[in-house]
Amino acid sequence: MKIKVFFLLMLIPLLSGCLPTSTLDQVLMVEGEGFDYLGNGKIMGTVVIPSFEQGASQNGQGGGMQSISSTIRSLSGVTYDGKSLADKFQSEGQEILRVGSMKTMIYDKKLAKFGLKNQLSFRNRDPDVPSAISIAVVDGSTKELLTATDYQTKVPIARYIQHMILQNTQQNYPSTNLRYFLDSYYGAYMDPFMPLIKKSGDHLEMQGLALFRNDKYIMSIPDSKMFVFKMLYEPFNQGFYDCLLPSGKHIVVRNVESSVKYKVEDGNGVSPKVVASLQIKGYVRQASPKTVSTKAASTVSKKVADDLKHNAEKMVRQLQRKGVDPLRIGDTVRSATRHFDGKTWNERYPNTNFSCQIHVEVIQTGISS
Amino acid sequence: MFFRKRKIKKENPIQAESVSDLWLRLENVPDFIHFKHKGEHFHCWVSFIQTLADVEYLHRDVFPYLYSDKVHSLADVQQQIPIERMIRTKDMAVIQAKLFEGYTIIQEYEREADCLIIPSVKIKGRQIEKSEIETSIIGPREAFVESADANINLVRKRIPIPQFKFDELHIGKISKTRVCVLYIDGIANKDNINTVKQRIRDLEVVSMIDATMLALMISDNNNSIFPQYIDTERPDRVAGALYEGKISVIIEGSPNALILPASIIEFFAAFDDYFLVWPIATAYRLLRLFAIGFSSVASSIYVAILTYHYQLIPDNLIPSLFTSRTAVPYAPFVEVLVMEFMIELLREAGARLPTKVGQTIGIVGGIVIGTASVQAGVVSNFLLIIIALSALSAFITPNYRMATTIRFIRFPFILSAQLLGLLGISLCFLIFVSHLIKLTSIGRPYIEPIYPTRVRDLKDTFIRLPLNYQNERPLFLRPGDSKRFNSHRAHQKAEVKKSELDN
Repeated sequence: MKIKVFFLLMLIPLLSGCLPTSTLDQVLMVEGEGFDYLGNGKIMGTVVIPSFEQGASQNGQGGGMQSISSTIRSLSGVTYDGKSLADKFQSEGQEILRVGSMKTMIYDKKLAKFGLKNQLSFRNRDPDVPSAISIAVVDGSTKELLTATDYQTKVPIARYIQHMILQNTQQNYPSTNLRYFLDSYYGAYMDPFMPLIKKSGDHLEMQGLALFRNDKYIMSIPDSKMFVFKMLYEPFNQGFYDCLLPSGKHIVVRNVESSVKYKVEDGNGVSPKVVASLQIKGYVRQASPKTVSTKAASTVSKKVADDLKHNAEKMVRQLQRKGVDPLRIGDTVRSATRHFDGKTWNERYPNTNFSCQIHVEVIQTGISS
Repeated sequence: MFFRKRKIKKENPIQAESVSDLWLRLENVPDFIHFKHKGEHFHCWVSFIQTLADVEYLHRDVFPYLYSDKVHSLADVQQQIPIERMIRTKDMAVIQAKLFEGYTIIQEYEREADCLIIPSVKIKGRQIEKSEIETSIIGPREAFVESADANINLVRKRIPIPQFKFDELHIGKISKTRVCVLYIDGIANKDNINTVKQRIRDLEVVSMIDATMLALMISDNNNSIFPQYIDTERPDRVAGALYEGKISVIIEGSPNALILPASIIEFFAAFDDYFLVWPIATAYRLLRLFAIGFSSVASSIYVAILTYHYQLIPDNLIPSLFTSRTAVPYAPFVEVLVMEFMIELLREAGARLPTKVGQTIGIVGGIVIGTASVQAGVVSNFLLIIIALSALSAFITPNYRMATTIRFIRFPFILSAQLLGLLGISLCFLIFVSHLIKLTSIGRPYIEPIYPTRVRDLKDTFIRLPLNYQNERPLFLRPGDSKRFNSHRAHQKAEVKKSELDN
């Protein structure tokens, strides 16, 4: 009796085990999605799938038949709001399309200005897709960027974009991915941002940062100001700052340490006072001849600090004018103020009195002397 | 039929009823010697089995006394012959048993049960040789042989105290095999000894060929795939276990000794761990544990990930996995089964064949089947690496029994991976864990330092701390004397050392 029951129980998984499989070589792995705004609520969606035909023949020594590994590379078509491109293009794929190993999602500037609400909310709800995918705004058409065949590299385009963004976030760019973006998007008193990329000729390049208010693109910060942005945004190292001295000469400083502390006064007042004090340690990477020496290190660091302070305060003023808060100053003020008055913050933000105290320490000037 | 069965049973019981009955039965046995000695003063009947008894010894040391003029009766014989452990008895059971052990029987009258039994056992067996199954690079090399006396000798040499004891039991309805239960009185737990002895005594068997057979019969759970006793061919390991407070069982005719109770971790500890410096020994133990984990789940994780969880594959691995998979016509599950089947075939063929042919099998398996199957597109070369590595990892287990268990465990894991992916693997793992938690070895918890958690016992499990920290015997044995030595004194002496350079 016991044995009979046991065998019956054993039959349950064998008979009912019909979980849909997605065997590696029988799915099309969508690695990147691109969205272009066509106007009138219509969107051109593009998906890219890596093709592994390179090197496939090393395995097919058994017979004369060609390996069947080559897959279609990209699909695109018009859709009403870009929701779930994988499902839309299913009819065009030779295998099942799966979005589980998504790497990048990119949007063109027009769509970013129109608003990313739909694309973000359905991605946020999809359990199949990792939240650590890279997102970016493209200056130009995403379809063109994703489907172009004239790149120098043979790396699948979605990975190319992801590697480029990740590599840059280790240096001058702040950490960005879908998770960070949604955090700022849903959080109060803060605004999201994502990198701005562009295809220039046969390669891609980072153009700076695209800043959003809610889900709409407002303005961008150029690549040259990224150090200033990141030092105010988070502590980091391995960034570099190209400082233009009044004499027209350049000094490039690579920081080994940068920390920022915010001090808030009068958080509920009409114009709250926010002071950012920064400690930056760095070494001189490059310099025009005769600008640095061990003796002149202190004067150099003074000059660099002044330059950073000037640029930082200018940038924050600009952000205040546009009413975007990617640096999370609003959140900083909230955390330092008892009974924070959040309702009026949006009006008070442009009037916030922001200033910087920067201390730069040059710990090495190279073998110049 | 029923009637006939009963008749046979009645006519031919194993035990002879009387001496004359015994002689009658042995009439047609060619190596049975039974003759009447007619001396000047004394007549007697001498009987022994030629192939069991040491005939040269009888001629040299026993028979001359029968001719002596001082001998007139059986009592005189017993007095004159200077041999210890002679028995004078009328008990038929003893007479028959001793005759078949190689003893010589002397009677005054052929039909009378009054017998003098003289030990004349011919000791013939293998020389003590190097251990071949549980080899170690450093440390003692002796291995047990098929003679229980020789084996006990090997252990006793290492434990020169009167407290080292062994109890003899005879099991097997026909074979009456001698079983010795070895322990150190005062260190071993009395309950453990009694449990083992009682289980051996309660066995209903006809014969007992090997100690491993006994191990299967007296284990707590006969259906478990996990071995609940360690069988070893190394006397040093047995001595070490006895000092720890364990019990060992040695069987006549078996070159294996059992060590019990056992916990699962001991199956993964090689005995040479104790001969190495502790950081290195610890590293090797951890390596072995990793290998076992890898070996049991590697192929099932391959199945699960390739069938269900393509998201988990690292980016840089996807192209090589993809290209090697596309040539394969089967699902990963079938692919893995084919490969596992091949490896099992190779292993079984290698184990059954003589050593020299076995090497050829290795070459055939490794080169021909491996390379050819990848080239023919039957399996992917990525899987070949995984399977080969996991086979290697299974062989790293020092205990052969555990190695077979580890290899067997893979198959339920692979099946559950195919059914439910990683969830299936974790469910299967849960089933095994709950089974292990319930498992006992002569009533002692089988996965002891893990559950129930005994931090004190952990110092000789996954890791092996220095020997002067091992001052307590394992807790799960409940030893009679839990302290090995005074730890305070052990550390005191260690601290006295001073650099000679300072003087």
